[in-house]
Amino acid sequence: MFIKISGIKKHFGEGESRVEVLKGIDAEIEKGEICVLLGPSGSGKSTLLNIIGGIDNADSGYIQIGGEKTEDMNEKALTLYRREHLGYIFQMYNLIPNLNIKENVEIGAYLSSNPLDVDELLKVLGLYEHRHKLPNQLSGGQQQRTAIGRAIVKNPDILLCDEPTGALDYNTSKEILKLIEELNKKYGSTVIMVTHNDAIKNMADRVIKLRDGVIRKNYKNETKITASELDW
Amino acid sequence: MKNPLNKRIFRAIKGEAGKYLVIFLFMTALVGVVSGFLIAGESLKTAYDLSFEKYNVEDGNFELAEKADSNIISSIEEESVTLYENFYVEEDTDGFESTLRIFSNRKDVNQECLLSGTMPEAENEIVLDRLYAKNNDMSVGDSFSVAGKSLKVTGIVALPDYSALFQNNTDFMFDNIKFGVSVMTDDGFAEIGDNIHYSYSWKYDTPPADPNGKEAKDMAEDFMKSISTKAPLINFIPRFSSNAIKFAGEDLGGDRVMVLTLMYILIVIIAFVFAITTSNTISREANVIGTLRASGYTKLELIRHYMTPPLIVLLIAAIVGNILGYTLFKNVMVAQYLGSYSLVSYKTLWNATAFIETTVVPIVIMTLINFFMLVRAFSLSPLKFIRRDLKRRQKKKAFKLNTKIKIMTRFKLRVIFQNIPNYITIFVGILFSGIILVFGTMFGPLLDNVEEETLANMIASHQYILKMPTETENADAEKYCISSLKTTGNDFTEDISIYGIVDNSKYITADLSGGKVYISSAYSDKYGLKKGDTFTMKEEFDDKTHRLNIDGIYDNPATLAIFVSRNKFNEMFGNEADYYSGYLSDQEIADIDENLISAEITENDYTKSSRQLKQSMGNMMVIFWILGVAVFMLVIYLLAKIIIEKNAQSISMTKILGYNKKEIDRIYIHTTTIVTILSLIVSLPLIDVALNWIWHQMMSEFTGWIPCVIQWDIYLKVVVIGIVTYALVVLLLRRQTDRVSLSDALKNVE
Repeated sequence: MFIKISGIKKHFGEGESRVEVLKGIDAEIEKGEICVLLGPSGSGKSTLLNIIGGIDNADSGYIQIGGEKTEDMNEKALTLYRREHLGYIFQMYNLIPNLNIKENVEIGAYLSSNPLDVDELLKVLGLYEHRHKLPNQLSGGQQQRTAIGRAIVKNPDILLCDEPTGALDYNTSKEILKLIEELNKKYGSTVIMVTHNDAIKNMADRVIKLRDGVIRKNYKNETKITASELDW
Repeated sequence: MKNPLNKRIFRAIKGEAGKYLVIFLFMTALVGVVSGFLIAGESLKTAYDLSFEKYNVEDGNFELAEKADSNIISSIEEESVTLYENFYVEEDTDGFESTLRIFSNRKDVNQECLLSGTMPEAENEIVLDRLYAKNNDMSVGDSFSVAGKSLKVTGIVALPDYSALFQNNTDFMFDNIKFGVSVMTDDGFAEIGDNIHYSYSWKYDTPPADPNGKEAKDMAEDFMKSISTKAPLINFIPRFSSNAIKFAGEDLGGDRVMVLTLMYILIVIIAFVFAITTSNTISREANVIGTLRASGYTKLELIRHYMTPPLIVLLIAAIVGNILGYTLFKNVMVAQYLGSYSLVSYKTLWNATAFIETTVVPIVIMTLINFFMLVRAFSLSPLKFIRRDLKRRQKKKAFKLNTKIKIMTRFKLRVIFQNIPNYITIFVGILFSGIILVFGTMFGPLLDNVEEETLANMIASHQYILKMPTETENADAEKYCISSLKTTGNDFTEDISIYGIVDNSKYITADLSGGKVYISSAYSDKYGLKKGDTFTMKEEFDDKTHRLNIDGIYDNPATLAIFVSRNKFNEMFGNEADYYSGYLSDQEIADIDENLISAEITENDYTKSSRQLKQSMGNMMVIFWILGVAVFMLVIYLLAKIIIEKNAQSISMTKILGYNKKEIDRIYIHTTTIVTILSLIVSLPLIDVALNWIWHQMMSEFTGWIPCVIQWDIYLKVVVIGIVTYALVVLLLRRQTDRVSLSDALKNVE
């Protein structure tokens, strides 16, 4: 098993305002899978993603990736772990405004000892002709594609996507999902994608449905369709 | 692969070109001025130090009442010294008011440094000190008249034993306007006057290892005692206590600590301004930082990245500043020094210490302050950055404000509370710039005040010191005694005049009966002495000490003096009961032979200190003034700009809601106006306390005393300057609020 999630609990706030966000999550994800974390707002899916990504801590339980437990890692080791194994994509693209598109992707490449070819990747992303433009000269979809390029260029083992289509329209969202699917196929990265869009589960290998901090469903999708076939 | 983040460093600088340009210009000027000051000081100091050997400067000089015969000379020289005649006459110049001290050609000691022209060859030829000549508009080829004789200036010189033109060693300040030194041929000197001062210079056969150390002091003390047993000694000035020789040397390095401290304080302020602006950039880019951290960028990589732009700007400013320091500012500073001192010729020297102090140290200060600030900022988790949750402590509830307060006032208060760190830095900036501004503004009026106070408190319009007791018919004249005693208890010693006053004096109104001792209020202020205190003084040419108990303070804020009755004075100094030194008189005494008058202290003597200080420090004060205004503008502009940048979205939103320009300015600019004006007012008493302390520290290293009187109108002036300067800043800030677009509010913020 590539990723093992075991007994993860997490709360926010204290006293009256204490909220148990994750109440003991157990799950396993295979290498190369696309796993969709599905659930309504407040279900704890983003918190779980952040704990997997090592940017948030669990109250109890552990994440094990390729045999290594993240809870045993200190901050330095966690940074190294993220540097070597993870790519992150957020709903907001978080691009660096005064770097052009190519440079924004290079920011990711710099972190890897074995990065993908930046120009090649830009072509795959359909951004090659825009590579000298600044982020604010591009559409939302193009910016998100740049953010994906930044995450994928270091050839990470795991691609963590937090609502990657949350800020995009239908067509652009589908474009982005197709891209994630293509990259998963082409580079073999494991994709964990948080979304509240129920339709997206259909392109996943594994679906984990969360509600009120617990897993309601965790199943392997036997009727997987391609991103281009998605509709909502 | 090079870190691609580096590519945005110069773009970041370009993107905030205004901010960086302002800081660059300020830092360049600051480093340039300080570096110029240090280089000028060091180069001149080196030339000054070398001049002792090059021009064979004396180990000291003494004056005898009459010319010593060869027996006395031989007897004195038995003390392992060699004596050199250094006789001079002192004459008033005709046609313009000044006193010229004329020496005969110096062959062995204190040799002249000829700066231009030629040395005199004929009887009617003379060379003049450079500063005296300049201040009295004389140059080579000019003629003027002294004691009725016409003299031609053939050259301009610097005398190494008169680098500071002190007429008397006890003078508070040198006087290069109305006092000068000059050299004539032996024949010319013999013709010029009869009133010769029999001054002898001496050189030790084996000089002390440290010319200012204890050994030198002990040797001088022994030597003085020895001379006083052999000849009538009327003046004794070893080199280490000669103001004419050492004052310039001490000043050439003396302000170094003060100037460097001032620079470092300003750099700390700038570092905090940078830290706040960087912190603002971090808030603005929080989500990007969070993403980079989540992607695996280390804290150190990001700290390095955010530290680089200010350090690059500072480094370039320091380099340009140093170049200007070695060229433009060095010349300005040298001119400043040469406007005060008669220094021998110099060469500009590379000064590694100055480079370290003006370049390396500021960069280290800037690096440390920014590094610690960034380490603190980056201690937050990547998630907090992504969520833009940069508050270290979560506020449980919003700060409560009384709802009876008008909404606009509450809005302004919220802006103030939101920006407290900026406003604290603005306050500190205003405080420091205020200190610099008041210092630069107060100097002229303070010296005017000293002049007025000194003249108002003159003991008498004329104060005569006689060579021997002589009676006068002048009804206004009153006999008095005068001498000087040295302070004790500190490394720093100075001569304090002690007056012996007749009973029921019309010039000093103090009850000195029964051996009572009064000190002047200036003496009381400088040494913190009060009525009832006891202090010890030492006689000038003797080991004898006097322990005195203060019975009262005599109001004289500008002169250091002790007052006792004439009887007590004569008792203290072992004089005959009817001894007196001279006369105090409000009228000029005309019936005493001039040759019997040793010295006459007039208005001119009293005011020469303030006159000289004004001339020497005037340009320096302009620099202080400019610096103060620059710091004031810089700090307020940069920090107020951040407040506007921080609130760009809110400003945009208020615009969308329909608030007009005036209303928006009232919320976001008037808050800064309120804080600025409040800071200006609150800082005034602190500035007053700080300046009084600084002044006292400065004066404690000088002989004499100038009271720190800062008139209220100086503060008013500074507040007005502050408000006018701020008005200029407001114009820039208005442009900033105008530039906030309506679309800013529509940008996504998580």
